[in-house]
Amino acid sequence: MSASAAFADVKRMLDDCAKGYTWRLANHSRVVIYNKKVYRSLPKFDDIELGHIRKMVRYLEISQDCAKKHGVI
Amino acid sequence: MLTTEPKVEQKAEVKNHPIIITLGDTVSGAGFLAGVTLSGRALMRQEDDGKWWMYGVRPAAIAESGTTIDEAFLRFRQRYKETLFDIAQESRTFEEFKAEVERFFYESDQDEQVWETALRAVRKCGDVPPPPPFSNLKRESPELRPSAIGVERLDRENKRFTPSDNVTDNFAMAQAA
Repeated sequence: MSASAAFADVKRMLDDCAKGYTWRLANHSRVVIYNKKVYRSLPKFDDIELGHIRKMVRYLEISQDCAKKHGVI
Repeated sequence: MLTTEPKVEQKAEVKNHPIIITLGDTVSGAGFLAGVTLSGRALMRQEDDGKWWMYGVRPAAIAESGTTIDEAFLRFRQRYKETLFDIAQESRTFEEFKAEVERFFYESDQDEQVWETALRAVRKCGDVPPPPPFSNLKRESPELRPSAIGVERLDRENKRFTPSDNVTDNFAMAQAA
């Protein structure tokens, strides 16, 4: 079983580390917008594998230290 | 033998494997049919959980995992296709769709630098074959297959279709110069 985090914890991390971000549901994925960049491929599941979150954090240029504090990467 | 040993050591240090991907899709949108052909880049890495992760470089905003590199690629491919479908769903015209797909493809992140570093590391290994599970993977030169995306409207009156338009999904190890 791969390591994962609940989407509620991912949202808590974004609230703290990516102030001003927005997110919405698309047909197949969650779309997260921050830093004028759009991350279109976050899975819609309740539990999200950490690799997806790691990639989103890198792509949106969210502080790695801040994200690590929340235990989601 | 003396010249081979350092190369083997370098090979062991390669954790990020530079991958070249080729994908072709046909996407229906609101009143249009689009052909999307991608020659992209990705990194394959085995994470601490033992899974293989394919991290997008071009396009960057995408990742997927698998218990093997083939499974990671197939799941990455599926997520990419679903992303195109989501963009089509949100686009009112072909022009909007094309602009958003191109933005999705060209917007980069720090993994682009990691990919270049990984390619240099692989090339330092010279002609030493890559380790399993990459040893059976086709190898391609990125210089011969530059990263690019083509978004073409297919439902035009004078559009001609030929068998050579077909694109086979493929992933290969970036290697030789």
